[in-house]
Amino acid sequence: MADNKKEFNTKIYGIFAIIIVAAVLVALTLFAYTSRYTALSPEKTARLYVDTIVQSGDGYSAYKNSLLSYEGKFGDFIRKNYIYPEIYENYKPGDSTKGLKGLNDKELKGEKTLNDDGSLQGKVTDRMYGCFLDLVRENNGFDNYDAIFKAYISELKKVRKEIFEDDYFDDEAFFTAFEANLSKYGESLTGCEDEFDKNTGIQIKEAVKGVYQTAFGDEYEIKTEIVSVKDADIPDTSEYGIDAGIDEAKTVTLKVTAANTTVIDGIDITVVRIGHSWYVANKSCDTSALYKFYNDEV
Amino acid sequence: MDSEKKKFMKKSEIFTFGIGLFGVALLTGWMPDYTQTFFADFAFKGKGFDSSVISSSISTVFLVAGIIGAVMELITGFLIDNTRTKLGKVKPWIGFGAGPLAVIAMLVFVAPNTNNQTFAIIWMYVVYSLYTTIGCAVERPAECFGALCSPEPGERSSAISIASFMKSVGQSGGMVVVMVVGILMKAFMGQQQFKNAEAQGLDLIISTAICALGFIIFVMIFFINNKERVPFTREKVSLKDAVKVVFTNKNLLMVSLTKLTGFGRGVYGTVSLYIAIYLLGSKDLKLALLLPMGIGTAVGTLLVNFVLKKFSTKQTFIIFCVYGASTLAILYFVATGIGFRSELIVPFLILNFFCGIQHGNTNVTPNIMIADCVDEIEWKTGKRQEGTAYAGYGLFAKVASACTKALGPWLLYTWSGYLVSTDANVAYAPQSNPTLNKFLMIYTIIPAVFVLLQGAPILFYDMVGEKKERIVKELMERRAQTDETQGDEITASAGENN
Repeated sequence: MADNKKEFNTKIYGIFAIIIVAAVLVALTLFAYTSRYTALSPEKTARLYVDTIVQSGDGYSAYKNSLLSYEGKFGDFIRKNYIYPEIYENYKPGDSTKGLKGLNDKELKGEKTLNDDGSLQGKVTDRMYGCFLDLVRENNGFDNYDAIFKAYISELKKVRKEIFEDDYFDDEAFFTAFEANLSKYGESLTGCEDEFDKNTGIQIKEAVKGVYQTAFGDEYEIKTEIVSVKDADIPDTSEYGIDAGIDEAKTVTLKVTAANTTVIDGIDITVVRIGHSWYVANKSCDTSALYKFYNDEV
Repeated sequence: MDSEKKKFMKKSEIFTFGIGLFGVALLTGWMPDYTQTFFADFAFKGKGFDSSVISSSISTVFLVAGIIGAVMELITGFLIDNTRTKLGKVKPWIGFGAGPLAVIAMLVFVAPNTNNQTFAIIWMYVVYSLYTTIGCAVERPAECFGALCSPEPGERSSAISIASFMKSVGQSGGMVVVMVVGILMKAFMGQQQFKNAEAQGLDLIISTAICALGFIIFVMIFFINNKERVPFTREKVSLKDAVKVVFTNKNLLMVSLTKLTGFGRGVYGTVSLYIAIYLLGSKDLKLALLLPMGIGTAVGTLLVNFVLKKFSTKQTFIIFCVYGASTLAILYFVATGIGFRSELIVPFLILNFFCGIQHGNTNVTPNIMIADCVDEIEWKTGKRQEGTAYAGYGLFAKVASACTKALGPWLLYTWSGYLVSTDANVAYAPQSNPTLNKFLMIYTIIPAVFVLLQGAPILFYDMVGEKKERIVKELMERRAQTDETQGDEITASAGENN
């Protein structure tokens, strides 16, 4: 007797399983991507820019979503425009550094640089914090980044030479000191808790009460909200030194509340679209209010 | 004709079995570490959650998932042994579980957009426990397949050996995927936009999708091409039978015990970062340190297959244990005798390669031994219990892994006298010479002792030589008789119907 029962077709099942699962994976990835990636939305881009500044005074990281970062990493923008001209003689932004000899030549490293376990670099960072604070206060935040980076790097070279007793200077010296200063500045606003080494339990950082906590209470919460989005005039890209054409520009107005009280009624952020991505046209924005809103409260 | 040397598998089946295990390892090897990173750093970024609460919750999530995984090992094994379908007993689990596993793995990386911390924590528990549960129901059967791919032990050993090699390659596949995804994202998005996307964990999300896609494709290739060649027995396996087999079959117990007695072999991983920093001079050299060992492991996995052609599984296991302990001891004495100098990094790394070879043995030989134990159990009880046998081994492996995770940090942070840096500007505090020596011991001598201990239970293992040959022969005769009886029954039944 012939067996009339049809055998399960593993080939057809296998192909269908691959197609269906692939479709689900693509859908989930697209969903996760569009909901997380801020550069696809003008509102999210503007909000992230304001939020980064207002939560911890970090106007430096906010630039990573701006036109300054369109052509490369923001760190490379600083290298090309501010650090390399200090390291290499006659360097102009955009020049290649290949084959150039400058202050980052290993031969210029003195004994103290070669043997530092981080302690001397720590001294440099601590000394530079005063300079950092003065620059942020004098410039009402980070909008005038050109003045801040030029003055900071100039002072850093002097302080480093004094402590390490050599002429060596590289980009790492800047980023280590500047980012450490930025982090300390952020903690002075937000406060921080005691920190213990997770493996040994030894205390490695002491708690600090932040300016925000003093102004708005220990459990404060700062929120940013979109008030309106309007079409804007397209800014001139030559100001940013980029060749790409801007497709669209918008002004996003945001409100900032701290501990449920409105502290900034409206701050305008101009965002521009190049291709599919939105960037903050930082030169069209005044963020100084984001570095002052807590002063009256303290 | 020597029936024992008859080939049962098509050549392509050996390869596609390996492809299947490669696919499974591509996803399951990727998930735990990157899930932890995703939960801790990206899933709820910018939501203002208490980072200490979140990080302690993540530890508990993984602890709970570990317990669920251990229980699921036994349950899956028991269910496999009671599965009887036209596709076989193991294949349905792999074929029909692969789709749900790929989807749930992806869902782990699609965090809900919530500002409620409690909800976020509950979500982590639920989604990762689900992943662990479904993962067990696919990963364990895939490993069991080795015992069913051929009734001929030699052919089966070769297939398991090749598949184990591909599995060990697959376990590191995720690292390659995330690297390639990063390069492509940089090329398409630009450097800073990539950094911004990376800060949101988007490279991890895309890499998970690619690993899950690779997983379903490779598993389906296996599912379509491979057949179970060992017939399942008809007797029902009770839960009591399942538990009894794990703990009372001497040979199976000995193989499983190697995991427990050798649990400290893996403590070298805990100290590798500090070996790179303090003894090689840079934390960036951690990868350089582990890479030769990884290559050694892959080479060792292939090498085992050749050794097995000359020696029994028992002898092979013991040879590799002695070899492993010796290379680790040599590495210790060379390193302390000559001292650490930057110009000796290359010889140090070469020795690491030779130390890695022994891991090939633990990847392959126990799997072959378990397949042999399954034959012995069937010969003794009339019940074929691949599911339970591999699940039992997996259970012991999970307990051993938990012990390694406890011992490693204790050795490193307590026993060695490690000094943590209290200066915010100094990442790693200077350590005393005795502490540095203990770091080296944790990397070499202590694993060497456990490598030897790992071999101890195998001294009592006896499913080799004449006994193994006799059992395999008798089982084949029994199966032939069963086939004949079933054929007679079908003919008789057909006659009655006519």
